Amino acid sequence: MANLTEILSAAKAITKGMGITFGEMLQPALTEAYPDGPPQFQERYRGAHVLKRDENGLEKCVACFLCAAACPSDCIYIEAAENTDQLRISGGERYAQVYNIDYNRCIFCGYCVEACPTDAITHGHDFEIASYDTSTLIYRKEKMLEAPQAGKASLAYDSQASNGTSGH
Amino acid sequence: MATTTAPPTVINAKLNGQDIQTKPGTLLINLTKELGIEVPAFCYYEGFSLQAACRMCLVQVNSSPKLLPGCTTIVTEGMVIETESPLVVEARKSMLEFLLTNHPLDCPVCDKGGECELQDMVFKYGAGESRFVDIKHHEPERPFSPVVYYDPARCILCYRCVRVCDEGYGVNALGVVNRGVLSEIAPNRGDQLNCDECGACIDICPVGALTSNTYRYKTRPWEMKHVGTTCAHCSNGCKTTLGVRNDEIMRANNRDSSGLNEEFLCIKGRFGFDFNHHPDRLQSPMLRIDGDLQPVSWSKALAAVAAKFNEVKAAGGKFGIVASNRTSNEENYYLQKFARTGLGTNNIDHARTGDVVTLVDALSGKQGKLATMADLYQTKAALVIGSDLAQQHPLLAYELRRNWRHHQARIYAMTPGPVREDKYAAATARVAFGEEIAALEGWREQLAKEPELLILFGDSIKGASLRQLVDFGESLGIPVKYVALVDYANSRGAIDMGLVPELHPGFVPSGQPGLTLPEMLDDSQLDVLWVVGANPLANRSQANPKAFVVVQDLFLTATAARADVVFPAASAYEKKGTVTNVTGEVQRLTAAVKTMGTKTDLEIFGLLGKEMGLELGIWSPDAVFNEIRQNVRGYNVTMPILATGGAAPTTPVNGKVNVETRSDLVHSAGDTLFTSGSMTKYSQVLNTVAERPGQLYKPV
Ligand code: SF4
Ligand code: SF4
Ligand code: SF4
Ligand code: SF4
Ligand code: SF4
Repeated sequence: MANLTEILSAAKAITKGMGITFGEMLQPALTEAYPDGPPQFQERYRGAHVLKRDENGLEKCVACFLCAAACPSDCIYIEAAENTDQLRISGGERYAQVYNIDYNRCIFCGYCVEACPTDAITHGHDFEIASYDTSTLIYRKEKMLEAPQAGKASLAYDSQASNGTSGH
Repeated sequence: MATTTAPPTVINAKLNGQDIQTKPGTLLINLTKELGIEVPAFCYYEGFSLQAACRMCLVQVNSSPKLLPGCTTIVTEGMVIETESPLVVEARKSMLEFLLTNHPLDCPVCDKGGECELQDMVFKYGAGESRFVDIKHHEPERPFSPVVYYDPARCILCYRCVRVCDEGYGVNALGVVNRGVLSEIAPNRGDQLNCDECGACIDICPVGALTSNTYRYKTRPWEMKHVGTTCAHCSNGCKTTLGVRNDEIMRANNRDSSGLNEEFLCIKGRFGFDFNHHPDRLQSPMLRIDGDLQPVSWSKALAAVAAKFNEVKAAGGKFGIVASNRTSNEENYYLQKFARTGLGTNNIDHARTGDVVTLVDALSGKQGKLATMADLYQTKAALVIGSDLAQQHPLLAYELRRNWRHHQARIYAMTPGPVREDKYAAATARVAFGEEIAALEGWREQLAKEPELLILFGDSIKGASLRQLVDFGESLGIPVKYVALVDYANSRGAIDMGLVPELHPGFVPSGQPGLTLPEMLDDSQLDVLWVVGANPLANRSQANPKAFVVVQDLFLTATAARADVVFPAASAYEKKGTVTNVTGEVQRLTAAVKTMGTKTDLEIFGLLGKEMGLELGIWSPDAVFNEIRQNVRGYNVTMPILATGGAAPTTPVNGKVNVETRSDLVHSAGDTLFTSGSMTKYSQVLNTVAERPGQLYKPV
């Protein structure tokens, strides 16, 4: 008697398991084909940083250093400079003349994004930043800054680059 | 018959439910501070007049139906005080909400962010949310002067700036204009500040309303390293805290009130550090090759100088050594040792700026006659002779004025022209240089009535007239102390360390003949002229144009341009060591930054001595200072004072200085508030301020 009960419950379990298997076979696949195909991201994924521009095409970052202060691995380096009427880079009085993130040290914790009062620094979705040369892992502002949108009265980036960022 | 009751000596009150006792006349806000209870305030500032403008310090007191400002309420017998009652908490919240009605949300860019009293208070006592939804009133930022900028929107009208300028510095350049929400701070004369440009208003401002043109928008407070050291300019020896980032000095202030100057700094101390980063700084040794000064390596330059020194020494030639008014005590001591034991010469001198030697000699046998900085604030009466203190000795002027404000000190000013002391002096006299001693007799009676006197005198009093002055002072029959005014950061240390031919360190007669500075330059037989941090050939040439000239300096001065070898020296902000100020107090220098390619003068002496094969001892600042403490009379100072950034008084010799000192060589450079000898040229700030000395002293 006991044997029959065992056989029945085993058959039930198998049916249930196979039911899930066959059921899933009919669903679309979640497996990523990366690196053969492009990866999918959650919106909140924390990849390499992107520095944003405001609706006028000016840089949002006002060089407040709060991201650098919040950063637990101390990998953000900023040099501030004052906007002038001739050269306006950001919306505030000040802008980041130099803005570097050292990806040798960044742990993608998102604290900088959390700290930023102007929503200037955000996490992008780029994660393919591995390199054979660690010196290329220090990203400069030029590399992280969002491209100016077409039609916006943004300043040509060259005008600021020629302003001379110091060579730290 | 009415019985007179003696005034109470102790006041009993209740604070937050606890019984307390205090002295009569205590301000409520000071009482809470003593007990470690915080009563927030913006406008209350110790040492300045009471304002009760900000209403942040409102507290509940049983004797009044309304809340009272703690900063103007005196604790009385039986008072019951509440500093944390719901009413008080609510009042603080409301006050902050009012302050923020028109305050911009500037914290991310504001220079004060991170050290802002308003930020701190809102964080601790604020409401968190504002109920005001209207558009904020905004006024654009405006420059008040080349160094002071004003952002009206951020101003909370605490009047601290107005008071520090008027009461503290005696300049009275700032005032308040308009009413109500339109009120703002403005220059009292015209739309520009015609003032001392000291920047005290910027530092005392609790918010980011007043900002400094040299620092604004450059960095943030927490990004800097804060290094306490001593100002490199005048002899007053203010302690200054340098904010350093990336090996660059970003700002200087002394907000922690440490040091003998507390928060005081003049323009040179607060902004004049910029010479340090001037592009003309020398960064490589230079050697004259084929008639031109060309950059060479240190080893090559040192070898060239050592070879020449050894050659001249072996041939019994003549050295002349010109020392500095700015190098540290350690460097001065090592240099005179180098000259006397290494080169066997006594031809060492510096540009003397005050006759300290004669003063020490004239006072021999008497105790406690040389004043310290603290005496300036405490003395009951002071006599200033032949010096415009506000121009030449800003800290001394500030201390005397503070003394007059707080203790009603009586000040006597005997100067050739009008000075700032005139406004509050007990007596003033316009007396030409050299005629002071005769004129003093007219004040004898008045001065003899003072309980004590502190005499400060400039370079017009020297030699015989200085002895007459001491005779005069000692004949008054009251305790008299003296200050011989000298010019630069370590002018006093130069004399104490024996940088004159007639004296060894500690006022010990050298007993050997030696050339003085003009004699060296006039000597047609001189073989070597070694100049350390000085510019003796600025306006003259030397008698022997063939003499081998070695110069150690920060810049290519007129003398350096004439040199055969130039060593790039580190500045006072780049070295460790000690300096002695005008009142004989020793203070510490701390290396804050480094300029590539330079070495400290001490290291240059050491390396040169080694290259020459001399045995002069270790050239580390600590080791040399130890030697000074052991060998130089008066310099056995208390180390913990120095180590904690304080000013350690030296106890000078008390005995005859048996030498013929060349008092006639004493000559002050007559620097003003906006000049600092040959360094003036290299400070952009000092060159941009518009005022000319003298303009400041026009009566308002
Ligand atoms: S990215 Fe944001 S937090 Fe960082 S400096 Fe710029 S504004 Fe400040
Ligand atoms: S003054 Fe203080 S509260 Fe106001 S913007 Fe500046 S940092 Fe912020
Ligand atoms: S810089 Fe000094 S003198 Fe000038 S306004 Fe400010 S406090 Fe007054
Ligand atoms: S400028 Fe600063 S110190 Fe002056 S009243 Fe305004 S907030 Fe106070
Ligand atoms: S008073 Fe003299 S020591 Fe003080 S800050 Fe000014 S220049 Fe420097």
